[in-house]
Amino acid sequence: MPFVDSLYNTAYRMARNAEDAEDLVQEAYFKAYKYYDKFQEGTNFRAWLFKILKNTFINSYRKKQSIPPQSDFADIEESFESQVSDQVSRRIKSPEQELLENVLDEDVQRAIDDLPVDYRMAVVLADLEGFSYKEIAEILDVPVGTVMSRLYRGRKLMEAAMLEYAQEHGYLRSGEPTKMRSRRDTQTPDA
Amino acid sequence: MNCRKVREVLFLYTDNEMEEELLISFKEHMEHCPPCAQQITRTQRLLLLVRKRCHRVQAPASLRERILTSFPHRRGSR
Repeated sequence: MPFVDSLYNTAYRMARNAEDAEDLVQEAYFKAYKYYDKFQEGTNFRAWLFKILKNTFINSYRKKQSIPPQSDFADIEESFESQVSDQVSRRIKSPEQELLENVLDEDVQRAIDDLPVDYRMAVVLADLEGFSYKEIAEILDVPVGTVMSRLYRGRKLMEAAMLEYAQEHGYLRSGEPTKMRSRRDTQTPDA
Repeated sequence: MNCRKVREVLFLYTDNEMEEELLISFKEHMEHCPPCAQQITRTQRLLLLVRKRCHRVQAPASLRERILTSFPHRRGSR
């Protein structure tokens, strides 16, 4: 079963729960099997599978969110653009290098999971699955320039979110070096 | 290349997607601009952090089984 772990990992990050992720992967494999004659030999099979997964996800996502195609996704993207630059420029002066070294695994996952869906797809494909810009453009059916801008904005948002979570955990106080590293030491009392 | 341009295209560099021509002027700028060089290091560390710290989930055995049995020609063959 080619790429099943990688497809599942991506589906999980997109759907944000195991049950939906399993359904998505199963449906994607079923479609791949059914439409295998449409796959062009010698082209990128992995990207082809991921494209089927993406289409499956978008269909189910739209059904659940009742979001009409295309235009609304573009609106979402626009509205986040200004937020990204605002958030990043506000935090850019903090000693974030130390801060980022102290974020928890959960913070990284939360930062990815909280991204708007279009950015999340681009970030997951690039940063977790290691696809090239050209492959991501093919999977998402968008120009390479769009991939670049989604990655740019998505990563900036993610960085801002991680900084915020780290600040919430109290890693950063003005002028004080960060100390906490292990998860055991950083649990909140109500955890 | 100026600092603003460097910030615009820095992900092309960290993602190994920068074309040779741009790469030359990019590297040239970096050699003479510590703040930009620092920004690149910071970005590389951020991306590495995401890659290393985002826990990868594995497909459960039950899913593999479900997929196999959903293929018509495989049905009942295991």
